[in-house]
Amino acid sequence: MSAASEHPILDPALAPPFPVGALPMLRNVQLRKNVAHAMDVIQAKRARLVAEKTDWQALRTAAAAIKDETLAHLGEYLEQFEERCTAAGGHVHWAADAAEARRIILELLRKEKADEVIKIKTMTAAEIQLNPFLEAAGVRAYETDLAEIILQLGKGEPSHIVVPALHVNRSQVREIFARTMGIKDLPDDPKALTAAARNYLRQKFLEVPTAISGANFLVAETGGVTVVESEGNGRMCLTLPKTMITLAGIEKVVPRFADLEVMLQLLARSATGERMNPYTSLWTGVTKGDGPQNFHVVLLDNGRSSILGRKTERQTLRCIRCAACMNTCPVYRQTGGHAYGSVYPGPIGAILTPQLYELRHAQSLPFASSLCGACYEVCPVKINIPEILIDLRARVTDQERHTLGKFFDPMYVGLRAANVIFSRAWLFHAAQWMGRLGAKLVTRRDGWIHALPSVGAKWTQTRDLRGLPKQTFHAWWAERGTASQQVGGSASQRVGDAASDPTLSPKSGEKGGTTSREAR
Amino acid sequence: MSAVTDSRKKVLEAIHAATGAAAAGSATRNAAATAGTAAGAHADIPRGYVRRGDMTVSARHERFIERLREYDAEVVECEPEGLAAAIATQLAASGRHRFVAPPGIPAEWYVDAAWKIEGFECTFDHGLETREIEQAEGVITGCFCGVADSGTIVLHHGPAEGRRVITLLPDWHLCVVRLSQVVETLPEYFDRCQVSGVRGQGEETLPKLVTWISGPSATADIEMTRIKGVHGPRFLHVILVNDEEAGT
Amino acid sequence: MRASLFITCYNDTLFPETGRAVVRLLERLGVEVEFRAAQTCCGQMHANTGFRGEAFSQAKRLVRLYADAEAVVIPSSSCVAMMRDQYPGLFEELGNENLREQFRALVPRLWELSEFLIDKLGVEDVGAYFPHRVTYHASCHGLRALHLGDRPFRLLNKVRGLELAPLANLDRCCGFGGTFSVKNGDVSSAMLTVKLEDVLATRAEFCTALDNSCLMHLGGAMHRQYAPMKTIHMAQILASTQAEALG
Repeated sequence: MSAASEHPILDPALAPPFPVGALPMLRNVQLRKNVAHAMDVIQAKRARLVAEKTDWQALRTAAAAIKDETLAHLGEYLEQFEERCTAAGGHVHWAADAAEARRIILELLRKEKADEVIKIKTMTAAEIQLNPFLEAAGVRAYETDLAEIILQLGKGEPSHIVVPALHVNRSQVREIFARTMGIKDLPDDPKALTAAARNYLRQKFLEVPTAISGANFLVAETGGVTVVESEGNGRMCLTLPKTMITLAGIEKVVPRFADLEVMLQLLARSATGERMNPYTSLWTGVTKGDGPQNFHVVLLDNGRSSILGRKTERQTLRCIRCAACMNTCPVYRQTGGHAYGSVYPGPIGAILTPQLYELRHAQSLPFASSLCGACYEVCPVKINIPEILIDLRARVTDQERHTLGKFFDPMYVGLRAANVIFSRAWLFHAAQWMGRLGAKLVTRRDGWIHALPSVGAKWTQTRDLRGLPKQTFHAWWAERGTASQQVGGSASQRVGDAASDPTLSPKSGEKGGTTSREAR
Repeated sequence: MSAVTDSRKKVLEAIHAATGAAAAGSATRNAAATAGTAAGAHADIPRGYVRRGDMTVSARHERFIERLREYDAEVVECEPEGLAAAIATQLAASGRHRFVAPPGIPAEWYVDAAWKIEGFECTFDHGLETREIEQAEGVITGCFCGVADSGTIVLHHGPAEGRRVITLLPDWHLCVVRLSQVVETLPEYFDRCQVSGVRGQGEETLPKLVTWISGPSATADIEMTRIKGVHGPRFLHVILVNDEEAGT
Repeated sequence: MRASLFITCYNDTLFPETGRAVVRLLERLGVEVEFRAAQTCCGQMHANTGFRGEAFSQAKRLVRLYADAEAVVIPSSSCVAMMRDQYPGLFEELGNENLREQFRALVPRLWELSEFLIDKLGVEDVGAYFPHRVTYHASCHGLRALHLGDRPFRLLNKVRGLELAPLANLDRCCGFGGTFSVKNGDVSSAMLTVKLEDVLATRAEFCTALDNSCLMHLGGAMHRQYAPMKTIHMAQILASTQAEALG
């Protein structure tokens, strides 16, 4: 168990299903405490700022519309971005999948004879597993975000997309830094630890000539690229090196420069509970005398175009990676990010991850939700995550239900049986009667069931279930009535579908519908 | 390389298949023209959010200062004629001696004899080496705009604001902001960008380089404890020049 | 005023007392209650577990059953949410125009219990008496799908003798989530424990809600842990009078 929590697998092709991945996390008390604390801090800050922003809902509406417009014409906007960026001196590359993106980036690095590269945190690079690939090819990638340094030096994995090391506490950070940076007598207060990271990185910023970044937004109208950050390491990587390579998902584009007036107002408030994050940078191609003179953008598909084509799921691509959804998710609150087995955890991860893999992997993630809807409420671009989760559940089930393994799975069998039972009132009533008989076997003297077999065992693991009452409601109602008139008028008045639907007519001996007036 | 064009074609074809758009794009197509077909739909985006603020000049002024101070920026105010003296005071109080400044700093900022502080050194950035900038203890710049709502200072890196590196490496940044440069809302800043260039040349006048600064760098990565000053200047001093009539 | 009671499959089987309370309550308010014996399930369990075709057949059956009902009252927010939020998509994808039209005509006649009392009957004081300390749990479907808002509180505030204890973190999910409670039983139990902390901290005698689904999850743990609290559906509180206490 502890091994799983120390070395989480964030590769959806290899990670265990969510219920299995979650269990060691639930047993990690430190993690649950850290996660809850982090979520409370950000949520409180966000709530305060959202309350003060009287046009918050209008901003959300506009942002969703901007993104939908972009997605509806994605090809055109991407081509426009490419043209503008190229005209401004940048080079635009297209990668159909992760492997291709890695190859393109490595080739660009090889051209520069780079054996080191400094990186700004980018979830997209984590998605394509860039660092291990570069490492194997002899290129050392240095993370420069504090959280990413903590994870890189400590050989850990991110558990959140904005605050990736929230599961690590200060003494753990102290241990990692002292050991890997070779610092004696390093205190464990965050200020000293941050100063240690600042010093560690200064030389790297000044010396390493090649940098890799992600992008928060690509502006089609101008060919501009935007990076939103807090620490300043982004600005370092964007201005000091000679070569900059920006990796961006194709959904990152927005049509106009002015559209940023909406996105920037939403992003920082949603992500970190600030009106505006400390530093936001925008650059366009290459500017003589200022910053990298060799600039490349790698546009990444990697499954996004397949999401684009689906009516319900397309809105997934509106995501601006703010993490507000996971900050409010009651499931994430208990498990943290590693349980999801993906660099994208939480509600957005539960819908994005399986879709990027076209439902070949991470099929358990759409079920890793109680469908409470809190995420949808806070999403700045109004992604209806519960709706997508339900649709993905249907697609996964359709994929699985006829496989041998699932056909005889107790839950699948039970649900198929339940459907038959619900198709006729008499079947339903018969099943209730049989259920009552069966329940008698497991009902204790206190009238409650303390242990159930099979699928039910997960219920009775922590909850009792009150024994089935002797009389169902419908039986009580029937008893209280004397008339057995069919509802909706007399038999001769039955019209329309109620008449044509044979499942709605009573079997012989079954009392029909009655009203309270008749029943007395 | 054909491999490159193949991927581009593949991705665009996949996108067009998904969006039901017409023929797949090719490298020679005029993207600007076709993006125009989307322009109509773009104009239909509902924009019910606040674009223009309704604060008075003095309220906006107050709000800007309040928000700057919220993230511990030092703010002093002065009248236009007192600017050079205010700059001199700030420089003297900083305890620092080696400064760097963009080449386009207005002459009136250094005409004042008060600049002659002992040991004072100000190098103008006519293509300084990174190493030289790294030696500077502070930087003085103007800005393009200030946004009161978030206490944001916007640099377009023009001649009076300088290359991006000079406001990044030094630890202390003195920024001169004229009240007439301060708007209330972020959309108002974007409106200013639209009018800042030559009329009739739309997109070309939009800024190529922008840095929005809303506080010294910070991180909350360790146990959500906010630590200020990771990379980038840890000290921000703002001189707010009162060049507007305080209206009602 | 005639109302047709859709009791829901799980209330019929597990919580018939809630149904009896709804009948008592509505009759006391002068509503003539009818009960269509052919009813079974709204299809939510199947829809939320990925069995869309099955959910559709149940949805179709329900819509046909109630096509001519004056009003349908449902003492379960999640079932109402299923009908309002998911039936349109199901019928769009799997149904025909006739069915879609029937459903559209039915929608304004579907009522969750508290909606029926406040919006349709226009009453807040239902003449109830329940002299106990009670805390109200806002089920997620009621809160976010139906936007019940303060309706439950307006009803509870008029119950004589009732002392309402506010619940901290009211908008946090209890962890039931339908089949989630067993498919992800461990996580569900962790969420339950955390929720129960807040519920028990109210020192109420009863935890009430408009959904027996959440209540059987919370109540099941209360019973397992010998907690000094029980759960009760709000219908039973509202049906309770000085003459006939239903505590």
